[in-house]
This record gives sequence, structure tokens and C-alpha cells, in this order.
Amino acid sequence: MQRHHLRRRALLASAGLAATAPALAACGPDIASDEDAGSSSLLKAPDRREGEITIWDRSGDLFEVFEGVIADFNAAYPDIKVNHVAVDIDAKLQNTLITGADVPDGVFLDDAKVGGFTEYLWDLSDVLAPYAADIAPQKLDVNTVNGGVYGVPFDLDPGLLFYNATALEAAGVDVAAIATYDDLLQAARDYQAAVPGSAPIHLEQSPFLGQLQLEMYASQLGTSIADADGELRLDTPEFERILTFLDTVRKEGLGTRAEYLTPTDIAELDNGNQVFYPWAIWFSFAPQQVLTATSGDWRATQLPAWDAGGARSGAMGGSSFVLPKDGANADLAWLFYEFLMFNEAGYTAVWGPGDVYPEGLATSIPSYTPAADPAAPLYSGITALGGQDLWTVATEAGAQIPGGTPTPSWWAGAVDYLGNDLQRMLDGDLSPQEVLAKSTDDIQTNLVDRQ
Amino acid sequence: MADTEARTRPRIGSHLFLMLLLAAFLFPVAWALLSAFKPADEIIRSPLTFDPTQFTFDNYTAMFQDVPIGQGFLNTAVVLLFKGAATMFLAPLAAFAFAKYQWIGKNLVFGAVLITLMLPTIVLIIPLLLEMKELGWVNTYQALILPGAVDAFAIFWMRQVISAVPDELLDAARVDGCGEFAIFWRVVVPVIRPGLAGLGVLTVMNIYNDFVWPVVAASTERMATLQVVLSTLAQNITGNRIGADYATVTGELLAASSVALIPLLVLFILLQRHFINGILAGSVKG
Amino acid sequence: MTAAVATAPATRRAPRAGRGPRMRRRLAPYVFVLPFVAVFVAFSVYPLFFTARLSFTDWRGTGAATWVGWDNYTYLLTNPAFWSSLGNSAVLWLLIVPVQMVLGVLVAVLLNNAKLRLRGLYRVAFIVPFVTPLVAVAQIWVVLFDQRYGAVNAFLGLFGLPDTGWLTTSAWAKPTLALLFLWKTTGFIVIILLSGLQSINASIYEAADLDGASKTRQLWSITVPLLRRTLGFAVVLQTLAVFQMFAEPFVVTQGGPYNSTTTAGYYLYNHITRADLGTGAANSFLLVVLVMALSLLFVRLLRAKD
Repeated sequence: MQRHHLRRRALLASAGLAATAPALAACGPDIASDEDAGSSSLLKAPDRREGEITIWDRSGDLFEVFEGVIADFNAAYPDIKVNHVAVDIDAKLQNTLITGADVPDGVFLDDAKVGGFTEYLWDLSDVLAPYAADIAPQKLDVNTVNGGVYGVPFDLDPGLLFYNATALEAAGVDVAAIATYDDLLQAARDYQAAVPGSAPIHLEQSPFLGQLQLEMYASQLGTSIADADGELRLDTPEFERILTFLDTVRKEGLGTRAEYLTPTDIAELDNGNQVFYPWAIWFSFAPQQVLTATSGDWRATQLPAWDAGGARSGAMGGSSFVLPKDGANADLAWLFYEFLMFNEAGYTAVWGPGDVYPEGLATSIPSYTPAADPAAPLYSGITALGGQDLWTVATEAGAQIPGGTPTPSWWAGAVDYLGNDLQRMLDGDLSPQEVLAKSTDDIQTNLVDRQ
Repeated sequence: MADTEARTRPRIGSHLFLMLLLAAFLFPVAWALLSAFKPADEIIRSPLTFDPTQFTFDNYTAMFQDVPIGQGFLNTAVVLLFKGAATMFLAPLAAFAFAKYQWIGKNLVFGAVLITLMLPTIVLIIPLLLEMKELGWVNTYQALILPGAVDAFAIFWMRQVISAVPDELLDAARVDGCGEFAIFWRVVVPVIRPGLAGLGVLTVMNIYNDFVWPVVAASTERMATLQVVLSTLAQNITGNRIGADYATVTGELLAASSVALIPLLVLFILLQRHFINGILAGSVKG
Repeated sequence: MTAAVATAPATRRAPRAGRGPRMRRRLAPYVFVLPFVAVFVAFSVYPLFFTARLSFTDWRGTGAATWVGWDNYTYLLTNPAFWSSLGNSAVLWLLIVPVQMVLGVLVAVLLNNAKLRLRGLYRVAFIVPFVTPLVAVAQIWVVLFDQRYGAVNAFLGLFGLPDTGWLTTSAWAKPTLALLFLWKTTGFIVIILLSGLQSINASIYEAADLDGASKTRQLWSITVPLLRRTLGFAVVLQTLAVFQMFAEPFVVTQGGPYNSTTTAGYYLYNHITRADLGTGAANSFLLVVLVMALSLLFVRLLRAKD
């Protein structure tokens, strides 16, 4: 398991205290030694079909899903041994890449974080070329930095409006009539009038997820924090409009402020106080595995539009697979991901019914369009959604997500500014205009200017 | 030490004050140890009660299944053995040189030791990590053991303790024909035994509880120490708890914390006299 | 055995009998400190010099490093976030150190009474938190102070008090973190102060008793002044600890909410997680300078009073 592909200096091999002298002789950081800037970082598809790859995944349901797919992969590639490890990726990846020791060949990573690691990653433009035309544009955008593509797109996560159908029906609110966010506000007011003390719309309290949700709303409007050149475009009418909507929910007391699926959130969902959850498709995890009293009452529909006739969905979150340059067999890891994402046997095994999700992986849809065919569902009726055909809802929504919304490399760092300021607005301490002005200023100084 | 202790029996108010404080100091640990034996749902539903009829090992069973805590204990034991031995031998030896000899560079080196005392651990994390990379030591026991193997505080403290050893004792040994190391080993070490015992407990405690460096130096589960294993589990409850079942994770966390607490608590209660006397012997006097 | 190793060079160089022991005595300290110095240089001094050089570059962990002069330092010194991290540490200091010293002196004076019943139990019980692994107790803190399910709010609820967001509101997060620190380290401070008390001569109190001075009066006019050096040592020790505080916010609050628990140490860590290693190195040095200055200041203040 342990592979030291580091060049140990002969003198240092004896280790122990003898290390002191040569370490000092180097006299100062060996900073630029192991990176020749000009070397190509374009991954080429391998000729070989055997070897061992180490794959990192986050522990939890997805780890189990991928674990189950390895057998299918080995049916196609019997000589590639997959060493599959559950890792706290956020905590470990940075240090592992810096030290170059025990570097995995493939890593599951949040889309929002791919940009921060590109210097350590293979550029996949070449191997992805045959598939690029069939990949959801938003997913290619988020993985593209300076013309290179640094991740194999995994899931597409269309934003949907989840709602508690039973509770809303009892209150006489017609969800089918909600076409715009103004309609949503009105529906929330109506529900509150029928159920006093309720706070129908979810207001996210985690700075990170709040910023992610903000990007979902922005994606609907075809924009994002920064454009393809990394220029900020936060202080714009689009963002002001979104924040004003959220601020209205707060001011009118229509929102339940809670962190996503924490105990408080779950309680408010299960007691019928919180009935609208505009979120990515992965919220479907809640009725399937977390909610008790209201599981089966929930349904999903497309998001409201900002303007009548506008896009009814935006992307929120999602992940990709990245291949570190220091991974000894990253080229073989590409074969693994190619099989999982672009081979019918692969994506059927990932999204279709399995041990972990008996009804299929209904927390996302494939980003590879041929796999996300409304006519050829990988999963369909979901019991926890009252048997609703989530596949159709999601693929139709996914097809509407506008492109042109790249993720800057500093996206995760912006949470300290935009994410926090958004929460301050929901506390009632900042106005939408103040959030945008302040965040723009802070992000420019602390992130954009310091790249 | 002359008996300088106060003269009258304390009043009832003092007892009340101390008792309240005692309760506050023991409550969190006692609560965790007890709650770990409650059904996970009960821990969060009624945190202040304990129903003996509902006593359960479920949290422990689940924790041992989910968390590689055995590997963590093993790694901590290895580090403890080697790093502890290095500190316990090398720190008093070096402190002996600082306390009882004149040599070129003594003040300079001791000054450097004092400055190191003021360095936040985290300051050296990145350069140390890069040094480990150059040495090829990332994810090895060497990386966990050698940096900080001789703690600056241990040197500082042992120097205080050894300074108090009378020079006449050393000179008498020299007259008897003792070599310099023999003086250290046969004269100084026996005399400073209480201080050494204190250092021993403190060293075990520091190494056992160390967290910042191991979390960086050991990026694989295979090398994770007990504290690293614990902090990883903790991420489920504080950071990425999306969808995690709060009650279950809390139960496992309390079980894991208890398992981590108990060895040190037992060790401390067995050795508390040495530890407290050791600190009393070593600290600065009014 | 090791003694033979230590003395070998001396015997070689000093053939004449009689000079051997003196030569050995001169060389011995060098041999004794050598292992320590080797480890010290390799894993403390060298990394420190490395950090110094790094602090003048924009290195991000890979690729070439560009020399940027004092850029990182000016960036930090003009950055409100840097100052607010120091401010957070300063507030924590205020919440911790004065409280701890008052509590420490009171408890130490009470425990110093040989006639106190259960004295041994108290001494052990108060130091138990100091011995427990921080990561474990920090976890327990998170669970205890949870807004909805925590034992603390459940307890306060018995008195009809509303649930408080101990770890989720900027107003309470710092005091809650300070409480953890106080709980964990006060026992250690008590023991240190006890050692100081034991060296105060009892006859001083006897004289004061004869003069009819009250116990409270004696505490203020005898014990505290005579305990000044020990107190000073304790204050310096805790000041260093508070300004280096990292693991507590790392485990309990991750620096939040709204960076209200982003201590000086945690802010430094933020640069590292963003691979902004040059800025991190510069921040390290600013922190070291601050901590050294504070320590020197306290030492000075205490000397001036002597």
C-alpha cells in the first residue's frame, strides 16, 4: 500500500540524527526544484490495461455506491486493481498534494474546489475530447480553468423546488400555480395564513451552503460570482434581485433559518412548519433517509422562474473526479472514470437500483447527456416522494440550466466574505446592496488580487 | 519545605465554593462517560437524565465498527514509546549540561530554547511538512516521533530542577572517580526522581494528546494516531454533518471520547502524587 | 557504557594522566547537549529559517516562487481580518486570564490549608480536565453546548431560561470557548500557585494574626504580593497559550460564527488551507514577534515592581 515514489537522497537514507547536516546544507527552501513549469500537464489515454489504482472517495452513501461499481469495472478491465479508500478529502488533499507522498490516482472533489488545485492536476482536455460535446455545459464550465479541463464531470445537480404536498394541499395552496418567485412568495404568505406560526421557505444558515444556493439562483439567470476571465460580477442587478428576494422572505417572516438537515432543520421539516425547500436534487436524500413524519409527503417540481418564461432550474453543487499528476497510475484512473461516466454499463451501475439505493441514486442525474435521457430512465418512481418520477422532473430541469457560469479557483475562500455577509443580511444587519458592495470589495482585495 | 500551610479550619462557605467548583470540573467528563452508555436517541432527547435500565453498549459497538480506533491506539502507543523515551532521556541530559557546566554557546542555545517556547506549534507546520517531504518521511513513524522529540519546555523545566541539586554532591562523586556521565546517571537522576516522575506524566500526556502535528503529518488512516482518529470522527458532527444522523454520531463520538479519556485518566489517578509533586518541584517559586 | 563513549575523545587527546578528568569535564556538556541540539536544529531552527524565507515569496506549494519583498507583511498589516484575529485573541485573553488568576489564587489558598477535609480529592479533581485529551473534551463541549439538544440548555431550561446558541452566535461563541479553556487549564494554574504558596513563610501570617489583620486583608496584603513572581510566571504561560490557541476553535467552532472565534492561530491556519503559504509564513512571524513582545512586557512589568 505504501508507495514512496520520492527520491530520497542517498545521504539521508540513514535517517535519524544524521539528517541534520544535509538538511542544513541545502540552506533554505528548495522551493522551485521539482516542477519544471514548461512540462506538459495534458493527460494522454494509456495503452496499458493493467496496474493498481488508488481512488479516494468521501465516506458515506456515495462511497458505498462506488464500492459497488468496482466489480462492474473489473468485468471490463480485469487487470486493474482498484484500491478504494474513504477519506476526509477536505482535510487531507491539500497536504497530500503539497508533500507528494501517497498521492491517490483519482479523487472525488466538490466542483467548487477543483479550481483551487489545478496546479497539481492533469489537464483532461485531450481524453475528454470525444465526450465533451455530450457533457452538460455547466459541468464543463466549472471544471475549466484557463482553457484546461481538470475534472471528469460526475453529477448534474439541477435545482428543484421541493415541497410538502400533503401540508400544502391541506392548507389549500396550489403549487402548480407557482411559476415565478413572486408566486412563491405569495404561496408562502397563503400557507402562513392557513398555518399560523409556520415559516414556509427554507433560509440556509450555513455560510458555505448559503453561498452555494445563491449560485443556484444566479445560475438560473445565467450568471455567477465571476466570469470566465476571473473578473468579479457580483455587484450586478441579477445578484441584487436574488438577495432582495431572500431579504423579503426574511423581512416578512416567511423563512425558517436553519443549517441544511441539521436537527433543527429536520424538526421543522417534519412538523410542517417548513414546506418549501428550493434546493439541488440532492435534497431528495432527506425524504429518502432522514425525515420520518413527512417522508412520503414530499414532491419535487421545477424551480420558479425569475421572470415568466425564464429558466426553471439552475445548478447547485455537484462533484467531479480529479486526477493528481503525482498519482503514479492516474492514466489508469482515467479508464476507471471513463467507464463509470461514459460507458452504459458504468453509469447504469452508478445511478441504477443498487444495494445502497434500492430505487436508484436519486440524489443526482448524470452530467453526460446520453446517460441523462428522459426517455431512458436510470431510476424512476421514488417511494419517499410518494412514487413520483423524479428522473423526468430532474432531466427536464437539467436541460434548462444555462451555461456560462464558471467557478473561480477561489470560490471556497469567498465563503468568508460573501457567504458570511449573506448570513449577516439574513440576521438583518446588512442590506442586499451592502452585501454586494462589501463582498465585492473584500473578495477583490483578499482573493482576486492575491492569486 | 517548612510547614507553611494556613492555620485555621476552613469555614462552611469555602467548602461550598470548592464543592461547586468540583462539580463544574467533573461534570463534563462524568456526563460524557455516563452518556456513552445511554441509547443514542436518549442522549439528545433528555441529556440530563440517566436511566440504568436502559444501559447499553450500542454506542461502543457502533463506534468500534465504524472507527479505526484500534489502529489509532496502536500508532499512539508506538509514538509514545519512542518519543517518550527520547524526551525522558535526552531532556534531562541536556538540561544537566545547561545547569551544571560552563561551555561555549550555552547562553545562545538556551536563548534559542526559550524562543522556541514562545513559538505557536502551527508556525512550523508547513516548513516541517516540506522537510518531511524532502526526507521522504511523510506518513512514517519517524515523522510523528522526531520533530519535537526533545521538548523545549522539558529542557527548561529540567534545568530548574537540576539547578537545585547541590554542586557538592557532584564534586564528591568526581572525587570518588565517577565519570561525567556516571555522575548524571548515578547521582543526578536519583536525586531528581520526583521531578522526573512529573516530567514523565507530563510527557505522556503531551504526546498522547498531541493533535496539530499528527493531523498534518499522517495523511493516511494507517498512520493516524488516536487524536487524529477522534478529530476525523468529529468532522461528522461539526463540519460535514450533512445527512449524518445526529444522534448516532453523537453516541459514537461520546463512546470514542470516553475510550480516549480513560487510559490517561487511570494513569493520572495512579500517578497523581508524582505528577503534582513534580510540578510543585519544578515551577518558579514566589 | 555511554560514559565510555563520552570520555573516549578526551583520553585520546590528553595522554598525560591527571588531565583526563578535567578534559572530560570540559567536553562532557557538548556531548550531553549534542543529541538535543541535533533534533532542535533539524526540526525547529531549520524550519524557522525556512519560514523566514518563505514569508517573502508568493509560493503556493507548487511551481516557482516569486520574491515579493514585504508584500505579504503589508497585506496583513493593512488587512482588517488580520487585526480582527488579534482582537479576538485579545478578547479571549481578557475573558480567560484575569478570571483564571483570581479563581486560581482563591482555590490555591483554600487548598493550601492542611486542615481542609477532602484536600487530596480536590487537588486531583481540579487537575483532571488538564489531563484529558483536548480533542475529546472539545467534542464533549460541542455536544454539551448544542443549542437544541445540549445538556447546558436543558439544564437552564429547568429554570425557564430560553435556549441559547452558545456556539452559533457571535456574542456567545467566544465566552463558550473561553469557558472550555478555563475549565481545561485552571487546575494546572492552581498547582503552580500552590507551589508558590508553599514557599511563603508561615511566620508572616502568625505575625499578622497577632496584629489582628483579617483573613481577607492578609490575602491582599501578604499572599498576593508575595506570590507575585509565581503569578507572573502563570500570566506569561497563559498569555502564550491564549495567543497560540488553535486546536480549540479548530475542533469546536472552525473559527465561526462570522469569524468571531478566528483566533490569531486559527487565522494563520486559514492561509495554509488556501495554500497561501507565503502569507501564512509572514503571519507566523508577526505572531511570534507579538507573543515575544507580550512576554517581555509582562516580565518587565513584574520586575519593575520588585
